[in-house]
Amino acid sequence: MTAKNEKTVIIIAGIIIGIIASLLVLFGNPANMGFCIACFLRDTTGALGLHRAAAVQYIRPEIIGIVLGSFIVSLITKEYSPRGGSSPMTRFILGFFVMIGCLMFLGCPFRMIIRLGSGDLNALLGFVGFALGILTGVFFLSKGYSLKRTYKLPTAEGTVLPVIEAVLLILLVLAPEFIFFTEAGGGPGAKHAAIIISLAAGLIVGILAQRTRLCMVGGIRDIVLFKEFKLISGFIAIFVSCLICNLILTAVTEGTFFKLGFAEQPIAHNDGLWNALGMYLTGFGCVLLGGCPLRQLVLSGEGNTDSAVTIIGLMVGAAFAHNFGLASSGAGPTPAGQIAVIIGIIVAAVIGCVNTFRTE
Amino acid sequence: MIYIATFYSHFGSVRFKKRCDAEGIPARQMPVPRTLSSSCGTCVRYEADSPKTEFITPGETEQIVEVLPGDGAYNVKFKAENS
Repeated sequence: MTAKNEKTVIIIAGIIIGIIASLLVLFGNPANMGFCIACFLRDTTGALGLHRAAAVQYIRPEIIGIVLGSFIVSLITKEYSPRGGSSPMTRFILGFFVMIGCLMFLGCPFRMIIRLGSGDLNALLGFVGFALGILTGVFFLSKGYSLKRTYKLPTAEGTVLPVIEAVLLILLVLAPEFIFFTEAGGGPGAKHAAIIISLAAGLIVGILAQRTRLCMVGGIRDIVLFKEFKLISGFIAIFVSCLICNLILTAVTEGTFFKLGFAEQPIAHNDGLWNALGMYLTGFGCVLLGGCPLRQLVLSGEGNTDSAVTIIGLMVGAAFAHNFGLASSGAGPTPAGQIAVIIGIIVAAVIGCVNTFRTE
Repeated sequence: MIYIATFYSHFGSVRFKKRCDAEGIPARQMPVPRTLSSSCGTCVRYEADSPKTEFITPGETEQIVEVLPGDGAYNVKFKAENS
């Protein structure tokens, strides 16, 4: 694959992913939330009873599909490579606070693009904060930031998260009593496409993201560091295809898939400062982690246990966010959430400094 | 010959590139080509008469490959232990 072909493949993948994201809402997912890695990990955390926010509890097959899609395709292409040992506890903490930032904004970088493609202008402020967070992270990268090297691990170690995802799929299908599911009409957790559709969507996105290395953070980072637009072109393609698909769906169905403006956007608030600060923390943390939440899922499917630990950090962050009232709602951010985001930015800065300006 | 060196961190590539510059070796930093790796880090592509393994910083340099004629063909010249 030449560099030009690589860009073409990324754009085609982005177009497909954008269409899938739009169609998932048509098939039952919450509005402007065809995909959201943070929200879907949060829903899964709730389904396992790790938080008790009854409105957001469901094992999301899209997450399972992304990890298993990446796992399967990396096995086929012989890119499956169990490795880890690059500051896992630091990555856990960063994952934790990235989730706090995402739940302040109400979405991961992936959903930020989908919200923009659905006309939600609040996501523009989120994008500004996100870009500034990435720039802050890039400053540390260029000054020597490193979480140290990874090491080869036994094959079984890399399969742990994919196996957990397979178990989650079984739990979703069997729906035993100890798994929590949002009751019909009880909130976003009750809105979902059929399992088989969500799983297929996740598998396709997982495969495409593994083949193209799609990463919102990497896209902006590459522009800053190398003036290289390849990765970002995939997410621009997601935005454009999602936008066009939403406009078409709004025209040909009775539903509203596109509504331009700031006010009354679904599962969003219009506090611009905290939308920006939440995504600032997300962008900053993701650069220090080396990838956005989607990328962490894909890497964990490839056998990267550091990314798997990051996923666990994201899920624990989601549990804390809902157990301690840190997550925003349509009404806006909470005071506790605002304090948590500030703490998160300080923690990310400390992690950046400690791992950049070392004396050893 | 054209070589590509990959690293565990972005700063590893910064340090390697500086070394190339100091030795007058044409080099540039860029994202790791997809044909070389599924990871999305930074690499240094440089033109030299040898892989310049003496530039390697242990714990920072992951591998050095020689770029062969043909798309996506590489010959591994150095690979960090246990990577």
